[in-house]
Amino acid sequence: MHRDYLQDALHTFNGGNWYGWKTHDDNGNKIPNSERMQYQHIKIIKDGATMPTEAEVNAKIQELKDAETQKETDASTGKQKLKDLGLNDAEIKALIGV
Amino acid sequence: MPFIGNQPALSYTSFAVQHFTTSATTSYTLDYSVANENEIRLVINNVVQQPGSSYAYTASGTTLTLSAATSATDTMYAVFLGKAVQTVTPASGSVTNAMIVDGTIAESKLASGVNTITMAEQWRLSSVTVTSTNTFLTTNLEKADTSDAGSIGTGMSESSGVFSFPSTGIYLITGTGAFYQNGSVTHQFVGLEIYVTTDNSSYNRRASSYGAILGTAEEANTTCMYIFDVTDISNDKVKFHVRQQTAGNLNVAGATNRQLTGFTFVRLGDT
Repeated sequence: MHRDYLQDALHTFNGGNWYGWKTHDDNGNKIPNSERMQYQHIKIIKDGATMPTEAEVNAKIQELKDAETQKETDASTGKQKLKDLGLNDAEIKALIGV
Repeated sequence: MPFIGNQPALSYTSFAVQHFTTSATTSYTLDYSVANENEIRLVINNVVQQPGSSYAYTASGTTLTLSAATSATDTMYAVFLGKAVQTVTPASGSVTNAMIVDGTIAESKLASGVNTITMAEQWRLSSVTVTSTNTFLTTNLEKADTSDAGSIGTGMSESSGVFSFPSTGIYLITGTGAFYQNGSVTHQFVGLEIYVTTDNSSYNRRASSYGAILGTAEEANTTCMYIFDVTDISNDKVKFHVRQQTAGNLNVAGATNRQLTGFTFVRLGDT
């Protein structure tokens, strides 16, 4: 399953589970499914929730991506440090699974 | 019996007979239209009458005219010689598929126990839901409504996660749960469960399926099924439950453009 960064980002606002997707536009026309999961089609379903700005959502998406990238980087550098200590690949895999 | 020519289409026939309630009249109405009086054999008081305008009776269309009036004490009947009524009964096992007109067999003609699928529909969780404990799915549920989504018949209705059935019957309910890691939380088990009620109040777990999310970026997909005998659409309901090890948040995958976490309802037949 590919990670859905937009939805993961949205859940960091309003305590999570605060949004859904509009299925019809203001004129009653059906929004194609392929176009619904975009910022402009968010609907609030939780009392008291407020709409984050698109910039805030995009910043959160970038933050999640950066964190993921950093995690991959940390894994790679950590593995290299283990190698530098003299461990071979089999030993490293036995220890950390990769 | 040998014969020359085409095989008659109407192999088995019987003659129609009409018994009259007699009165003091010369005019009667026949059940079937005839070309002339020779197409019927008229019997009065057990005596065969001679047809013809110079004799006992004439007939044309459905009009029978006697040369002399009957009385109420007479008995009279006519045998339609020219109107053999078709009572063809095909021999057992002789009706082939080609003999049946396309699209004419109604479900009501099928034997009891022979069922057709009259309802099929899919629903789904339309956006990701984050759970931290066991919970029923109650929001962001929608019918599969992509442009090519198919369904049969009148479908389910849903309110706050409670699904109601359109009619009584035996239903196959399939629930699929798609879960993925939230942050770095691991779960020894995650799963989707089917709960049903038969009194619109007390729900019982009837199907479960579980997986695990034990490492980074792991996901779990589970499917459970239940065949539910819906005998009362007011009281027989179903809802779907996420069960998880309460170690922290869990992402229940959902989308409005495809099935991730979703439910399929198929009415298999009558209850």
